[in-house]
Amino acid sequence: MSQALVTGLNGLSYAFILFLLAAGFSLTFGVMGVLNLAHGALYMLGAYIGIQIVNTLDLFWLAIIVAAAALAVLGYALYTLFLKRLYGRVPEQGVLTIGISIIMANVVLWIWGPRAKIMQTPDFLTGVITIGGLSFPIYRLFVCGVGLVVLGLLWYIQDRTRAGAIIRAGMDNKDMTVSLGINYGLVSTLVFLLGVALAGVAGVIGAPITGAYPSMGDNLLLLTLIVVVVGGTGYIQGTMLGALVIGLLDTFGKAYVPQVALFFAWIVFLAVLLVRPSGLIGRKVF
Amino acid sequence: MDEELGQIPGGPPIAAPSPEDPAARRVPRPLVETVLPIAVVAIIVLLLPLFIPSFVSSLVTKMMIFGLFGMSLNLIWGYANIPSFGHAAFFGTGAYTAAVLVTKVGLSSFWLSLLLAIIVTAAVAAILGVPAFRVFGVGAGAANPIYFLLATIAFGELLSRMAVSLRPVTGGTTGLSGIPEAAIGFGAKTNPEQYYYLVFVIGAVCLFLMYRIVNSHYGYGLRGIHDNERRMQALGYNTWLYKYTSWIVAAVFGGVAGVLFAYFGSTLVPNNLAMVTSDISFLLVILGGTTVFFGPLVAAVFYVGVEYVASVYMPQRWPLLFGAMFVIAIMMIPWTKGRYQGLGPEVLRLWRRVVRGSA
Repeated sequence: MSQALVTGLNGLSYAFILFLLAAGFSLTFGVMGVLNLAHGALYMLGAYIGIQIVNTLDLFWLAIIVAAAALAVLGYALYTLFLKRLYGRVPEQGVLTIGISIIMANVVLWIWGPRAKIMQTPDFLTGVITIGGLSFPIYRLFVCGVGLVVLGLLWYIQDRTRAGAIIRAGMDNKDMTVSLGINYGLVSTLVFLLGVALAGVAGVIGAPITGAYPSMGDNLLLLTLIVVVVGGTGYIQGTMLGALVIGLLDTFGKAYVPQVALFFAWIVFLAVLLVRPSGLIGRKVF
Repeated sequence: MDEELGQIPGGPPIAAPSPEDPAARRVPRPLVETVLPIAVVAIIVLLLPLFIPSFVSSLVTKMMIFGLFGMSLNLIWGYANIPSFGHAAFFGTGAYTAAVLVTKVGLSSFWLSLLLAIIVTAAVAAILGVPAFRVFGVGAGAANPIYFLLATIAFGELLSRMAVSLRPVTGGTTGLSGIPEAAIGFGAKTNPEQYYYLVFVIGAVCLFLMYRIVNSHYGYGLRGIHDNERRMQALGYNTWLYKYTSWIVAAVFGGVAGVLFAYFGSTLVPNNLAMVTSDISFLLVILGGTTVFFGPLVAAVFYVGVEYVASVYMPQRWPLLFGAMFVIAIMMIPWTKGRYQGLGPEVLRLWRRVVRGSA
């Protein structure tokens, strides 16, 4: 029983890392219909920037800010130089961003070398909490907390702000939204930047747990795809649900049936695509 | 009889081309544009091993294999506008089937392993194609191919994870190695030199079959689906069946390329089923262009050549070049309504200039 509880808590914190990873992708994919397959590579870059800053300056919060800013700039370049010109051409967006992620993986390899790096957990977040005889690392609780904050923030933006209303309107009918005189282009650019910056934040926060290595982008991208599709596109709470389902399934699967755990997530992915292509609680965007 | 055919009812009589007409004396177009280039390329490829060192001929073998791989994807991506990010699923299925049969089951005949690999690949494609086209769909009825793309990614990843998990059969993450040289019957084994010719012959047969397929009634049906699927449906075509069968046909040719690859490299890893390998197939399609039948083959020559040069001079930085190829292919290659003008049309233009210039 206590074993199951620990596995459950681990699964929960894994789910929040998955959520942080997938939230940015969910924004760009679900809201704008842009298939950004470089998302995993962007996370990786965020993780490397974070590790570099924490290991040299030892400023955890600065690392988060710098990573978010750097990736927002990169995302702006990516959007205006390339993706903007590929509006509505989903396969081409995919092919282009695959190329970008291959380039980024090699640049990271060039700068930081092939060996995996791990971030020192910041001092104020080290240690364990003991609850009822079970010890649990503080950092994992911190990750859960950040995940909840990001979820709340995005949920608020989505449901309570003018920007969120514009986004939802654009999802339903882009032409109509634009014809009402709303600067949808600006809002969608900002949403894309927010999505990319979130990948950087997730990279820094996830770095003490996932580490950073040049080939991590592909694996993370595939996880992201699973989470977003299972949870559903267009709603941030769908992404959270998908992250919970996949995080818990994966952790419990690895603990109890390690042979099938490798492709278990993919079977769930295909099953959800088959039964409800818009995801568990997503809305039909396309 | 001839006079009746030359006459449009109610219209002016059409003059039959006279023998003095310069247009009639010119060499027939099909001869210049199909037979002659094929003959030239075939002779060059057949005689090449006599003049080049063996490592170059192994590069040419690889070009032919990847060319076949790219062209098999072009059958669906280029002709029917069915973009797939998981074509390596079939490449790898063919390769793994042949390799498992030869190394684990103890089958010795190359031809039997090829045949069984084709059957297995077709079966896998038929199974995966049902959800892919029934539920997600591309073209008419599915406004956005995004779910289809995600599903094709999932197919490749699922199969490659299964290859990792089924360690006793597939060798797990280390994959299968030590695939023997192809035994083509009569107790003969092919050394790399002979394997070159084997790949050439099988590749030529596949190209011929694919050429017949895309230039048949069926192939024109696929092009019609590319241009306007709704209209094809209105004309009474069962477009679902066209797309589904073309998916299987493309998978089979991809599987054949995989079998050739398995015997060529003698090593297989689960990544041969995954997205990493699929990347190459659609790079070849876009780089080579979808408007010309042999486009991906030209792209494969370019790709394998660049890869080799890069592996000699800057092996560390090759992925930079590889990634840049995707970006350049997408941003620079002219694109109209789902058709790419890649290297293939350029080569065709060059050829026409050469022929006209000399004639």
